Amino acid sequence: MITLKNVRKFYGSLEVIKGVDITVEDGEFAVFVGPSGCGKSTLLRMIAGLEGIDEGDLILNGVRINDTPPDKRGIAMVFQSYALYPHMTVAENIGFSLSLKKVPQAEIRKQVEGVAQTLQLTDYLDRRPAALSGGQRQRVAIGRAIIKKPSLILFDEPLSNLDSALRVQMRAELQRLHRQLKATVVYVTHDQVEAMTMADRIVVLNKGVVAQQGPPMALYHEPDNEFVATFIGSPKMNVIPVVATREGAGGLRLVGKSGLQLDLKVPDPGMPSGDIKVGIRPEHFRLTSEPQGGFSDEVLIVERLGVETYLTVGRDVPVVVRAEGDIAVRPGDRVSLTADPSVCHLFDSAGRVVRSAQPL
Amino acid sequence: MPASSPADNANKGRSDLLAYATLSLISIFCFVPFFWVLLASFDANAQLFLHWPDQWTLANYVRVFAKEDGAKWLFNSLFVVGCATVLVMILAGLGGYALSRTHSWWKLPFLYTILLVRVLPPTALVVPLYKILLTLNNAEGAVLRPLLGSYARAIMHWTGFIDGYFGLILVLATMQLPLALWIMKTFFDGLPRDYEEAALMDGATMTQRIRRVLIPLALPGLAAAGLFSFMSAWGDFLMPLIFLSSPELQTLPLGLFRAFLRVNQIDYGLLAAIAFIYLLPAVIAFGFARRFLVQTFAGGVKG
Repeated sequence: MITLKNVRKFYGSLEVIKGVDITVEDGEFAVFVGPSGCGKSTLLRMIAGLEGIDEGDLILNGVRINDTPPDKRGIAMVFQSYALYPHMTVAENIGFSLSLKKVPQAEIRKQVEGVAQTLQLTDYLDRRPAALSGGQRQRVAIGRAIIKKPSLILFDEPLSNLDSALRVQMRAELQRLHRQLKATVVYVTHDQVEAMTMADRIVVLNKGVVAQQGPPMALYHEPDNEFVATFIGSPKMNVIPVVATREGAGGLRLVGKSGLQLDLKVPDPGMPSGDIKVGIRPEHFRLTSEPQGGFSDEVLIVERLGVETYLTVGRDVPVVVRAEGDIAVRPGDRVSLTADPSVCHLFDSAGRVVRSAQPL
Repeated sequence: MPASSPADNANKGRSDLLAYATLSLISIFCFVPFFWVLLASFDANAQLFLHWPDQWTLANYVRVFAKEDGAKWLFNSLFVVGCATVLVMILAGLGGYALSRTHSWWKLPFLYTILLVRVLPPTALVVPLYKILLTLNNAEGAVLRPLLGSYARAIMHWTGFIDGYFGLILVLATMQLPLALWIMKTFFDGLPRDYEEAALMDGATMTQRIRRVLIPLALPGLAAAGLFSFMSAWGDFLMPLIFLSSPELQTLPLGLFRAFLRVNQIDYGLLAAIAFIYLLPAVIAFGFARRFLVQTFAGGVKG
């Protein structure tokens, strides 16, 4: 189990990690996700020991390891570039950490073969990294990490340079490996799809703070703020500025601003009325024949994927709408849209959530 | 692309022919002196003019080593230039790494300043350099002479700043170091930090990181820096001429120069043989280092 308590990092007077609290349980696959510059890689390097920690505690299995050198932490890291030593064979790469510890050659050979078996690298042990494919190099990098029997494995955007087909394949393979090794993993990526598909726990970072952490579906259904709401899910959630007015008992009427003819009634969450924002996911809009509690506008863009179609609707505040199947709509057509009030997220002007959608 | 007409093709053929003929002439012009050296060195009756030897012989080479001090000259040259090259490779390797990884404000000013050493004509520096080395040499002599007595002179041949191997090695290395530092700095700039950090995570100490990761990775760069240093220092004539006077310390270019200066008889066969011996190590060094220069290190980081 690894715990970060109020961890901070400064570059000169610039604070890049602003008091982060994270706990990753044993055997958990945790993904740190966020846009570039959010501090996720810095945080990973701080856990690895490649960057110093200016304030706070880093605790691994009950021991504070802030000042422990990287190789004594029991943590292994898979680099974004893999960083396989090009002058060594696959076997030498995997066994390098053991040979540094003066482990007898026969023992190294045995352990390397065991790791190679797990990673299906047995046929490539005598090759150099230059003679391997991208996926094989990735596996060698993982092999170099797991031979140390670490209590925590760190991954720094390991799939970002692979082509999309290979990325999907490696995603499944990493999950299989995680189940097989029962290892605790901290994985950094900017790709929310990777986070959603692989993680037991997602930590969304924004500008050096944790925006929200939790299981993927919790973040999807109950985002704490506008940043998480728009970051998780693809295409991203539509956030529409509206004016809210109280209407009757326990009802709130939302009227779109700046030309958007949105008109929705939602249960009153007990908040001040006035300028707020409503978040509606593309998949939660419904196309209707006539406007009823919704709005109608012009279709600007149609993206057909066969199983689904994405429409960009409206000139002033464009919203993205997902429709099932291949529907007969062309750019320039007018469509009517409505959304179930129970799936609307409401955010105050600062972007904090005041009401999450109720799962349907 | 429009198809070229037969007239165009004929024109192209003619201009190609002209270009190749010109290039061939220039190549021959450049190659003739080397060819002359090779032929004359095996000619019992070598002349100033290029001609096919009537009689092939090794006598010229035998004379270089038996009658002249050829072996001594060769050893001196190889020893002095070899030591200077090794010194340059060590300093440029460490210094280039430091210059590549530091973010200090003085980095760029420093790099441009050391290039000045390369730009200034060495001849202009001879007098102050001689003065400094002479002062150092006198100081060293003052310490060593009372300690070692009659052995001091022999020791000073190795360690002296003037008329000693050590001084000449220092001067040659100093002249080659700036370019080598630039080569190594640029080389390390292109070498991702990930390798070192991976080694750090693997538990490698500083020495293990240098010996088992950095040096193997830097080998192509070190070979390039070493090659340029060796070739340039090997060709240097002025510094040995000024800083060496004892006959037993003479280097190959000095031997060649003095043999050429002898009045009354110019022995072209002997000169050609010395010249050929002088050429050979540079050619061998080039062939040796070329292997490292083309060695690609792709594949360690994903590409």
